[in-house]
Order: sequence, then structure tokens, then C-alpha cells
Amino acid sequence: MRALVIDDSRTMRRIVAGTLEGLGFETLQAEHGRDALDQLEAGAEVDLACIDWNMPVMDGLEFVTAVRANPAWRAITLMMVTTEAEHSQIVRALAAGAHEYLIKPFTPDAIRDKLDLLGLVPVEELA
Amino acid sequence: MTATVEYDQIHAIAQEVFAAMVDGDLGLLLPWDGDLPDIVDALVAWVDLHGEWSGRAVLVTGSDTAHDLARVLLGLDDGDAVSRADLVDAFGEIANVVGGNLKSLLPTPGTLGLPQVGDVLPPLAGAARVQHLPLSWRGRLLVVDVWVTLPTATSEGTS
Repeated sequence: MRALVIDDSRTMRRIVAGTLEGLGFETLQAEHGRDALDQLEAGAEVDLACIDWNMPVMDGLEFVTAVRANPAWRAITLMMVTTEAEHSQIVRALAAGAHEYLIKPFTPDAIRDKLDLLGLVPVEELA
Repeated sequence: MTATVEYDQIHAIAQEVFAAMVDGDLGLLLPWDGDLPDIVDALVAWVDLHGEWSGRAVLVTGSDTAHDLARVLLGLDDGDAVSRADLVDAFGEIANVVGGNLKSLLPTPGTLGLPQVGDVLPPLAGAARVQHLPLSWRGRLLVVDVWVTLPTATSEGTS
């Protein structure tokens, strides 16, 4: 499986991507929502996008809305990974089309648990 | 704000952030015990919060300590070189996560600015410091401050 990690922080991209790679994912990275959309429009195929909320150029909520507006990307699972912890923000993200929501700071186990809920933990990891 | 964000809450946030992102274990970010040393060659990271409640979450530590934090976050070995860009990104992200979790404690929704990092903290007009947490990370001083913009802010808050 392949994941796209979208965060303006290189540090956070490294943490999220490293965790996903440890679970068997291949990873791509994007610095903001527009960068991520550019990669998808160029043909990048991903099963999962992990999306920060607050980013320059295009924020995570705009990215989720854009992905959900394109039927070609319907199969992509969208998980917000953000410091936005208020209930109202979680509701906004889920209403826009995000499937899951993970609040920073998180542990590797928390990511794994969310992926498990989404049925996205690679089979070899579950074995 | 002063009534809704307490010292213990800020400390709990900082501890959780360091446990999850840096140390992998709670209890390694403790209240500073003893006289406060001067922070030499300080690095400051902050994130502003906007809304009905406005303010700023600030982290301050020495450059050496910030470099060590960045090495941990970036998966580098002790002594590995850390670029200025990586240093700024790593320390800024810690402030970002602390600020985001602080925002979740506020009674009204607001927005979070992007993290910024510098050698000095620029003034926040009309603001007063409402929490000051000198903490010890691996025996080295790291300070977490919370500032709030008050309608009746005193001159204390503009420095």
C-alpha cells in the first residue's frame, strides 16, 4: 500500500512517514495541500493520505474537499493528522469527507490503531 | 483565559508532547528545580492563537538543547549536523503541537497561526504573560510561556 503524507513540517512528515513505513507502507510526501493535489493530478496512486490541517498555500480541509469532489480519487482513505483538537473541527473534517482523525501528539501505536480501524494495516503487519 | 488555562494543564500538554514526539515516555519533562540559569544563545519558537481569545504559546531553550531536540525528532545520531532549516522546523513543530493543544482548552473556537522561530520573541501588542513554566528536559532548561491579549493589558505585556 502507498500513503501520501501531507504536512508543512519536514519533521512531522518524517515522523508520520517513518511510522507508516514501519507498517509496510510506501510513502510519498507533500508540503501542503496544493503540492499533494499536484502529485495526484500527475498520476500518483495512493491508498491513504495523512493530512495536516494548518498549512500554507492550501490547508488540509481544502485538500479533503478537493479530493472528495473528484470521483477518480474516491478510493483514497483520508486521515487528518493535526493539532486541531476541538470537537467542532473534527466534525468539520469528517463532514468534508475525512475518514479518520488523529490528534497530535500521537504515538506510533495510535497511528496503527487508526489504520486498523480503517482496515489499512498491511496483512504482514497483522500476522 | 487566566481562569481557564492553568499551570498544570500547560505542563500536562508539554509532557504529553515530549513523551509522544521526543522521549517515548512520560516524566522526562519536569518542573525546573532550583535557580534559573540564563539561557545562552536562545532559540524561541512560538505560535499565535486568534479568535475571541487571542494569545501566544512560546517555547524557549538554548541552541544546544534545540539542536538535540531536532536530532531526536529527525532521527539523527548524537553529534550529527543539524541544518538551520531543520532546527527551525523541528523546534517550530513542537511549539505548533503545544499551541494546538492549548487552543483545545479554550472556551471558544479560534484559529492557530503557523509556527515561527527566531532568536528573540517579537512583542505581541497588548499582551500579558499568564503562564511561565521553567521545565527541565534531560536536565536542561526549556521554558514554556503563554501570553494572552487582554483588553486592559498592562505595560508588562508589551515587552
